[in-house]
Amino acid sequence: MTSASNDAELVHWLDRVGVQDYAALKLLYDSCSPRLYGLAVRIVSNRDWAEDVLQEAFMTIWRSAETYRASLSPPMAWMGMVVRSRALDFLRRRSAERSHLTQPIDDEMADTHADDNPGPMDMALASEQAWALHQCLGKLEHRQREVVSLAYLRDLSHGDLAAQLQLPLGTVKTWIRRGLDQLRVCMARFA
Amino acid sequence: MNLTNNPQLLDRLAGSYALGTLRGGARRRFEALARERPAVRMAVLTWQTRLASLNELQPAVVPSPNVWRRIDNQLSAEREARALQLARLAPDRAASGAGPGWLRHLGLWRGAAAAGAVATLLAVVGAVQLRAQLGAEIAGLQARLLAMPQIEYVAVLADDKSAASVLVTFDPKSRQLTLQRIGAFQEAGDKSLQLWALTPAGGVRSLGVLGTDRLLKLTAAEAEVRGAPALAISLEPKGGVPGAGGPTGPVLFKGELIQKQL
Repeated sequence: MTSASNDAELVHWLDRVGVQDYAALKLLYDSCSPRLYGLAVRIVSNRDWAEDVLQEAFMTIWRSAETYRASLSPPMAWMGMVVRSRALDFLRRRSAERSHLTQPIDDEMADTHADDNPGPMDMALASEQAWALHQCLGKLEHRQREVVSLAYLRDLSHGDLAAQLQLPLGTVKTWIRRGLDQLRVCMARFA
Repeated sequence: MNLTNNPQLLDRLAGSYALGTLRGGARRRFEALARERPAVRMAVLTWQTRLASLNELQPAVVPSPNVWRRIDNQLSAEREARALQLARLAPDRAASGAGPGWLRHLGLWRGAAAAGAVATLLAVVGAVQLRAQLGAEIAGLQARLLAMPQIEYVAVLADDKSAASVLVTFDPKSRQLTLQRIGAFQEAGDKSLQLWALTPAGGVRSLGVLGTDRLLKLTAAEAEVRGAPALAISLEPKGGVPGAGGPTGPVLFKGELIQKQL
């Protein structure tokens, strides 16, 4: 399980995009868009909205790839941050524009319990850090893992989480605290 | 609260901070502490890095090919907008044909088009020796030329972050405004976008209300467009502003109207 050669390629393309190399942007898009689109879909829970987010994210990557190196992050981690922040902006804009009453949640998204396992996912592009987190998340109980993931991905408070997942507030707090404790112990071994 | 002596509590707070579940007063107190103590900042950074990996662990989904097409459109529109700005900054050089690369390309293109027209005419001359028939061919060519759109005005309307959002072209001959949405913006079902021309006197004139398609056509007389320093699009109630007043909603996109010099 090594992603070093993939990372080197992605970093090279990001460097090229930083000097406005259009072909490099296309290469980056072709290789990373499924993973990044998957992330956008997970955060905004709607495939059409996630397409808008992906478009905005790639325009952001196009404009700010020259600052990528200074972030010292693995390439997928950096692009993931761009997508998440565009997705959260999108949700904030949207909730400012209209109420969520008629929000169309795509079926496969409403069922957040479908992926009971982190599973033997395609980790080809993921960073080592992500691989470590993947291992540690695998040790959490499914619902605990879900609560921690959603809290982060959608930037939700304890109260939001309790409402969205229809769980008692105390349960959410306990799961998050235990989840973070377990992750801390587990991640320390990979440090 | 001496966090540095209680590494476990520090770590727990840093984790909740990075996760986003530490909120309100507790979050502000923790931030103040982080500003003072490098150890606290380090704990936060460690957690932020760990959790950021969640972004990489979501199941992959292949997006529709439309997304790349839209990105591609937006990139081309931005390139064109930049080139047009250059053209505007250096109209003299443009006129003399010694402008930047893009302009030279246009010059070449125009040269090629002219050469093509000459070749067509020569071919016509060669093939058809009869004067009358030649006349008919020329009339046909003229009719085709007349039917070709002649875009004389261009505007790239950008949002408040300067991202190109709508490309507008105007062909005065056919009195046709063409609008292409290139950004991701889509108005809510109970709203419409309305296009405005700023008048040289500082007023505004409505040029029409946009439908929801990505490519739209509106009719306008040249007098309504000529001389307008800029175009703007505002968000209005469904169907646009009733009556003859100016915009009532926020201006979402605006951009300079450029008369092509080429």
